[in-house]
Amino acid sequence: MSRALDVLPGPWLLRSTSPGLEAHAELRGSLPQLDAASLLALVEASGLRGRGGAGFPFATKLRATVSAPGRRRHVVVNLSEGEPASAKDLALTLHQPHLVLDGASLVAHALGTREVHVVTAAEHPEAQEALLAALAERRKERRDGRRRWRLHEASPRFVGGEASAVTELIDGRPNLPVTSWRPTALAGVDGKPTVLSNGETYAQLAALVLGGAPVPGTPAEPGTRLLSIAGPTGTTRVVEVAHGTPWRTVLSTTELAAPVLLGGYHGTWAPAGALEQLSVSHADLTAAGLGLGAGVVLPLAPGTCPLRATAGVTRYLARQSAGRCGPCHQGLPALATALDAFLAGGSLERVERLRSLVVGRGACAHPDGTARLVGSALAAFPDEVAAHSDGQCRALRPALTTVGVR
Amino acid sequence: MSREADLRVDWPRCEGRALCHELLPELIDLDPWGYPIVNGPVPARLRPAAREAVRDCPKLALRLIERKDSA
Repeated sequence: MSRALDVLPGPWLLRSTSPGLEAHAELRGSLPQLDAASLLALVEASGLRGRGGAGFPFATKLRATVSAPGRRRHVVVNLSEGEPASAKDLALTLHQPHLVLDGASLVAHALGTREVHVVTAAEHPEAQEALLAALAERRKERRDGRRRWRLHEASPRFVGGEASAVTELIDGRPNLPVTSWRPTALAGVDGKPTVLSNGETYAQLAALVLGGAPVPGTPAEPGTRLLSIAGPTGTTRVVEVAHGTPWRTVLSTTELAAPVLLGGYHGTWAPAGALEQLSVSHADLTAAGLGLGAGVVLPLAPGTCPLRATAGVTRYLARQSAGRCGPCHQGLPALATALDAFLAGGSLERVERLRSLVVGRGACAHPDGTARLVGSALAAFPDEVAAHSDGQCRALRPALTTVGVR
Repeated sequence: MSREADLRVDWPRCEGRALCHELLPELIDLDPWGYPIVNGPVPARLRPAAREAVRDCPKLALRLIERKDSA
């Protein structure tokens, strides 16, 4: 990967960036064994939301799996981050693997499950190496008894980390999304109730349970967020910020003055300057029509046309379709072509029609996310839309057409 | 209050054979590539035709999902 990665120390998960078990145990103590009721109560009180993109309340997921009928249950840690600009789960794996593994172990114990599946990205073999080293330490120190860990590698594509694609991979089938007739919490791996969540979700859970430091954040939103900020310079920085932190202190003046794509390629555009009065908070961003998704933050290079950047990302997303669902396979390339044609003075109506045509018509949310990105660009940049409708582009640097694409 | 149902397409299975549209034109349109567009939930009077569409889909790519509660 051509991007350099900077991982900065943070207030909570990244209090230490030293990956060893000895340092981890010294900082956070031993791993308690909570039963399902105690763990659920704790998760519920914290309001913890999943960090893989959808932001679903983790307590709801956990409760569904706990109370599902049958004895067998599965736990899956998803560290695969198929989003090209996302690096927070890699950062966690390399710097705080034991925090992630502790979180998974807590959930497995509460569910009475011995086995935990951990999925990393195939393009980052160093992630699996870091996990193998961490697991060897845990066995030696008997951190979590007879826990059995199964490592998997997700294919390097955008949709490879999607929940159903991950359960397919674990079940020994191609790592591609399939139709989920029932939620993963009730029917996931091997058709059994499964807690499947992003790596950061487990790390947040472990930090809450292990304690050892006051919980950062706000009373309404305790805890922190890991952000992967991929500026136009080619460096991705992973930063951990407490909920409620003003964006003014997270991004540079140049980044704040430019449009920012929040939540990655399936995300929404914040127009130039829009983040100056907002904070890193689910409630704050939702009220402004924005969201953090999996925490990818993409400030646009100054002077670049956000619509051209969006068109570049849309072409990329169209190529990333697994090609198994007709409306996505046909619709996303058509949408990308229509957007390019509009930017060259063509019809906006065709873009809008194709955009609404793909929504809700795939096994996964890839078409929906792509439609969301395009819709948000059209809504956030009315001046650019008007200029392109007249065959003009307001950008100073029309040559730069992508944002964060590696 | 009669219980409602939804027609859901198993997209990776669907190959756009369009038989569902033939059997249920009131509820199913086709997009420019021939894939079904399901327009809303299945009303009671169309339920038999919807069941037929589910049964006759050559790729078994259509399902009728009962709503737990029609709120």
